[in-house]
Amino acid sequence: MAVGKPAASGSQSEAKERLLIEAAQKDPAHFAELYEKHFERVYAFVSWRVRDRAVTEDLTADVFHKALASLPRFDWRGIPFAAWLMRIAHNVIADQWKRSAREVVGDPPEAVTTITPEQIEDRARLFRLVGLLPADQKRVIGMRFAEGKTIREIAKELRRTEGAVKQLQFRGMETLRDKLGEKHG
Amino acid sequence: MAKRTLIEQLDDAVTGLLTSRKSKPRQLDPEVTSLLNLAADLRHLPRPAFRKKLKADLREPVSTAASPVSAQATATPYLTVQNAAQAIEFYKKAFGATEIMRLTEPGGRIGHAEIEIGGSRIMLADESPDYGSVAPPTLGGSPVKINLEVSDVDAVARQARAAGAKVVRPVEDQFYGHRSGQFADPFGYTWIISTEIESVSHEEMQRRFESLVSTPPKEVEKSATGKVNPIREGFHTITPYIAVREAHEVIDFIQKTFDAQGSILGVGSAGGIHAEYKIGDSMLMIGGSASWKGTPMPTALHVYVKDADATYKRALAAGATVIREPADMPYGDREAGVKDVAGNHWYIATQQVSASYIPAGFHAVTPYLHPKGAAKALDFMKRAFGAEETFRSESDNVIHHASLRLGSSMLSLGEAHAEFQPMPTMFYLYVEDTDALYKQAMAAGAKSLAAPADQPYGDRNAAVEDPFGNQWYIATHVRDPQ
Repeated sequence: MAVGKPAASGSQSEAKERLLIEAAQKDPAHFAELYEKHFERVYAFVSWRVRDRAVTEDLTADVFHKALASLPRFDWRGIPFAAWLMRIAHNVIADQWKRSAREVVGDPPEAVTTITPEQIEDRARLFRLVGLLPADQKRVIGMRFAEGKTIREIAKELRRTEGAVKQLQFRGMETLRDKLGEKHG
Repeated sequence: MAKRTLIEQLDDAVTGLLTSRKSKPRQLDPEVTSLLNLAADLRHLPRPAFRKKLKADLREPVSTAASPVSAQATATPYLTVQNAAQAIEFYKKAFGATEIMRLTEPGGRIGHAEIEIGGSRIMLADESPDYGSVAPPTLGGSPVKINLEVSDVDAVARQARAAGAKVVRPVEDQFYGHRSGQFADPFGYTWIISTEIESVSHEEMQRRFESLVSTPPKEVEKSATGKVNPIREGFHTITPYIAVREAHEVIDFIQKTFDAQGSILGVGSAGGIHAEYKIGDSMLMIGGSASWKGTPMPTALHVYVKDADATYKRALAAGATVIREPADMPYGDREAGVKDVAGNHWYIATQQVSASYIPAGFHAVTPYLHPKGAAKALDFMKRAFGAEETFRSESDNVIHHASLRLGSSMLSLGEAHAEFQPMPTMFYLYVEDTDALYKQAMAAGAKSLAAPADQPYGDRNAAVEDPFGNQWYIATHVRDPQ
């Protein structure tokens, strides 16, 4: 299957991640750091396969709970941690698809052949970049896309004019496009 | 103005995408088209609230896991102790345990309790032999050790010792990358306290292990204080060894009569058991069995008890026969004599002339010999073992009663007479230097039964027989067995 490469490769970040993993293997409290690092990647992958947001959330939660439970058995010499997470995600999605074969929660795994590691990484990076937007742009993008709210609802909640909200949406997306372009350059 | 148009164009397109409404095919500004490509991915943007909640859930897997039972179903030690309430207090002081719960029976015994040390749960309860739960003292020890991984082994070790734990093995750097030590708690359990100081691969560990086990062992293992006590813990210099075919019956008898505490520790090569039981402050070794082929050596023992009459009654109830009914003796003891099923003599006495029922200098149990030629026997024991005479009552060169001090123990003897005929006895002696005392005993006329040798149970010992038929095992405790 397709697996994602860690966003940053190279021995230094690899060594750092290795330390993170060993710390989490000794004390699960350190798992939070691995979660922070890999959340967007896992969510991006699951959301690619599963269209429904609630199911995406359930399965993403499943992946991380399984990863936490199996962490003591993770062996660094095997595969990179990100690839290991993707393997768990793949299995979780396949299981879900088998369980609910009659419900349409997404395409069967084998039907989706077009997904590439780069696509997952791009989407994950976009998700991470949203978190780095200026606060008001971030709120508008989050409410509009993640929560599916209308411009009117957002305007009311933020006590702004609809025009101002639309402008924040435009600016936010502009910023995201520019930041994505920078890295891809 | 153009900007405003782009903003409206983008929002129209985004709304169309989010509501899956087929927007009219319209000429879009390229600027808007490039932004709209992002919108397809942004539709899947995770909710920040979900991201935050999942992170919190992962911190407490129990609250969200599908099966909270399986999340907790790890192996949990269950300790059976004598006095669980005290044990809980001890574990709090020694290891910083927190009490989670306890179930107290009407009588005050603890039927079940749970504590937590670090993140680990430990269950414990008071001893309850009826339910098959027996504590280490009943079994003579515990084969299971508990390993505590801590962040600072030296600090925890200090704390444990301050709380009353005894050093079994001092804290040291270990080949497997830990710094650790072993400590015995007052309830019979051994705790390994450990802190990782180095990450060692399994291969490296095996290599170091091999080089370690191929090194000749140190002659004598030293304890934390630097020296092993030559007298085994809980023992005095003299321990009588009763070797009879009715070993099990004798154990039953001393349990019923004297409330003896101890256990059967093993079965020897000749088919006899080896048991160690304590009466009051005194150890007794008992060996043999119905199938044992050795020569029985029943013994005469003088036992000081709180209430000679009550103990005498218990002895008879336990199957003993009367040698002499309780009576006040001219030397101030109230004393009775019984014989058990194996032929051992038990002189049951309570001292009545002072506050204590045991005379000063004596322990609860004192062997009593009735050799033919008590004066010679007494002389032999002085020469062979350095025994010191503390009392003698004689007339016409016949010793009626004499007492000898040998190390921390006393030994009594009197000339054989009437029903008190010689009963050659087997003794286990703990001394500073087995080899020296063995030579001394041989020079005094003893016959060698076994030359000094190290034994697997941590003693170096030898055996001799004196001219009166008594057998003496001369032992030095050199190593606390692990």
